Amino acid sequence: MPAPPIDARSQNAHVLGVEPCGEDGVLLRIKPLEPAGPLRAGRFFMLRSPDDTAPAIPRPFSVYRQHDDGSIEFLIKVMGPGTRALARSSPGTELVCVGPLGNGFPEFGADVPQVMVAGGIGSAPFYMAIQQALAGSHGAKVAPEDLTLIYGGRKAGFLYDLEAFMDLGVRVLAATDDGSVGFHGNVLDCLRKQWEVENLPETVRLLTCGPEPMMEAVAHEAAVKNLECWVSLESYMGCGVGICNGCSLVTRPDGPLGEWPVAKACVDGPVFCTSAIEL
Amino acid sequence: MASMEVDLAGISLRNPILSASGTFGHGVEMQHMVALDELGGLVSKTVTCQPRPGNPAPRIAETKAGFLNSIGLENRGIESYIESVLPEVESAGTVIITNIGGESVADYVAAAEALAGFDVISALEVNLSCPNVGGGRLPFSTDPKRAEEVMRAVSEVTDKPLWAKLSPNVTRIEEIACGAEAGGASAITAVNTLLGLGVDWRTGKPALATVVGGYSGIGMGPVALRCAWQCAQAVDIPVVGCGGIADAEDVLAFLAVGCHAVQVGTASFSDPGMLGRLAAEVEQLLDEAGVKDVQDVVGCMEASK
Ligand SMILES: Cc1cc2nc3c(=O)[nH]c(=O)nc-3n(C[C@H](O)[C@H](O)[C@H](O)COP(=O)(O)OP(=O)(O)OC[C@H]3O[C@@H](n4cnc5c(N)ncnc54)[C@H](O)[C@@H]3O)c2cc1C
Ligand SMILES: Cc1cc2nc3c(=O)[nH]c(=O)nc-3n(C[C@H](O)[C@H](O)[C@H](O)COP(=O)(O)O)c2cc1C
Ligand code: FES
Repeated sequence: MPAPPIDARSQNAHVLGVEPCGEDGVLLRIKPLEPAGPLRAGRFFMLRSPDDTAPAIPRPFSVYRQHDDGSIEFLIKVMGPGTRALARSSPGTELVCVGPLGNGFPEFGADVPQVMVAGGIGSAPFYMAIQQALAGSHGAKVAPEDLTLIYGGRKAGFLYDLEAFMDLGVRVLAATDDGSVGFHGNVLDCLRKQWEVENLPETVRLLTCGPEPMMEAVAHEAAVKNLECWVSLESYMGCGVGICNGCSLVTRPDGPLGEWPVAKACVDGPVFCTSAIEL
Repeated sequence: MASMEVDLAGISLRNPILSASGTFGHGVEMQHMVALDELGGLVSKTVTCQPRPGNPAPRIAETKAGFLNSIGLENRGIESYIESVLPEVESAGTVIITNIGGESVADYVAAAEALAGFDVISALEVNLSCPNVGGGRLPFSTDPKRAEEVMRAVSEVTDKPLWAKLSPNVTRIEEIACGAEAGGASAITAVNTLLGLGVDWRTGKPALATVVGGYSGIGMGPVALRCAWQCAQAVDIPVVGCGGIADAEDVLAFLAVGCHAVQVGTASFSDPGMLGRLAAEVEQLLDEAGVKDVQDVVGCMEASK
């Protein structure tokens, strides 16, 4: 039976700070009453503001950063009522906080270089993924030169917290549709360019998170080149804990998730190998 | 400390609060997040004879005052339920009710037959009212004769108490309740979801892939309360209220119109830990009001029989 993770709690969290980030984003730092243990990159929390304008159902957000004092940071793009209410919250506000949820990225070896392809707010799970790969805290320790982040968006304002990613010491390639920062074009063109100019070995492991069409394109590229590829999905969720059956995905009949034709993004994911599901 | 125990057609419940089918998995999955022994009982997701992969996505959408779903009874079928779920629920420490569904009378009968020998199941809830199968036609919950027929056929193959779960999408729900009672139901669950629809006018896309789905959550509360009251007025068997319950006040309102217990659904999505706290909150309200026994609230509304 798919169940929520054993360490998941439904509890309250205090807002410690909300800082604007990029054109329409915020960095939200919270402290759950009962702090979580060390979190694997790619896991998420469901958050809800007590604000009257907030929808009744919490919204899912990837853990962006975890601090030693037990606080957790989220990188949030304001989309609609749920994210707007969170962005408006002020220090001291008590949020509903359900988590930690989901599987997170698996433990990878250092066998092949990793390329993370992020679109806009899809960069959120990759900050800790890079930190953890560098430290070897989940899986093998990876050298900085074997980690590449291709970070794309429509324009500069949608590359949230770009400086912080650059400060991690790995190769960060920005790409914008309007050319306002970095490569002029989308992330896929940027990735292909790297191969073309032999800035990347042919065999890499791809990790991607962002708008669906972008993830599909990356997964397609991986399939064509026969590369391992992992996606962190941002499916619409009802409960986040596996009890509503709302976040269904179609599984691949020959894939690692077994014979059942559907999987749950919240408890089976949100991180999936592209051999497991139909995008 | 008010007494919270209730008797529901021969089943003794620690308190009158149960999970609603399809909104809490099979219940045991939640044991690390919710103290299951703080609940009166767990109602399983609807189980059908054959596995059902469910409807295509999107299957859920939040609305201003509630929630739309078209899950389509996704479940792995009764064999899998018996093999992998039933052994787990034994340790839940609360009463287990299994909800069964089907597309024909024979389906319901086969499901009830398959479960008849499992003592861990205290009652079967017969889902006569899923709006997400058979194109939302609700054949068994819109005609008292068909409701009676299903309940009678099921009662012939099992000794377990049977709860008939009804749909609010009818003109006179009390007639359906009477049909179910005549067919052998020992309780009525009122109600399942209302039929609903959502649309994004900018893109022209319906919110659910099936266009029409079930509407639940706080917006349906007064409709469900009215349905529960009408059922309680019409039948001699107990009624389990369901629909839009979000807090302890709501629980007591359903009891006041004559329900003996309630089920909580969509509210668990807002706070998955809530079901474990609700009974204590109800008890506190009763204590504050000087009510000694939760059963004293049952049917206390003036216009109730
Ligand atoms: C595992 C996971 C991790 C995520 N991590 C982040 C993150 O780190 N930062 C971030 O900004 N966003 C993240 N998201 C997306 C975020 O949950 C949605 O943007 C948010 O739910 C929108 O809510 P809203 O009320 O503001 O907007 P709404 O008005 O509800 O929706 C605005 C738009 O977002 C889409 N949407 C609505 N709800 C969801 C949902 N639950 N999941 C996905 N899309 C939705 C809608 O289809 C619509 O197009 C994540 C989603 C998932 C599933
Ligand atoms: C996502 C979802 C799935 C549901 N699945 C079932 C089901 O499998 N069987 C059933 O009898 N009712 C099902 N229901 C209906 C609920 O059990 C309940 O009757 C309804 O949601 C009204 O209660 P609420 O407002 O507290 O949610 C489902 C409801 C939701 C929201
Ligand atoms: S979001 Fe409810 S089951 Fe995944």
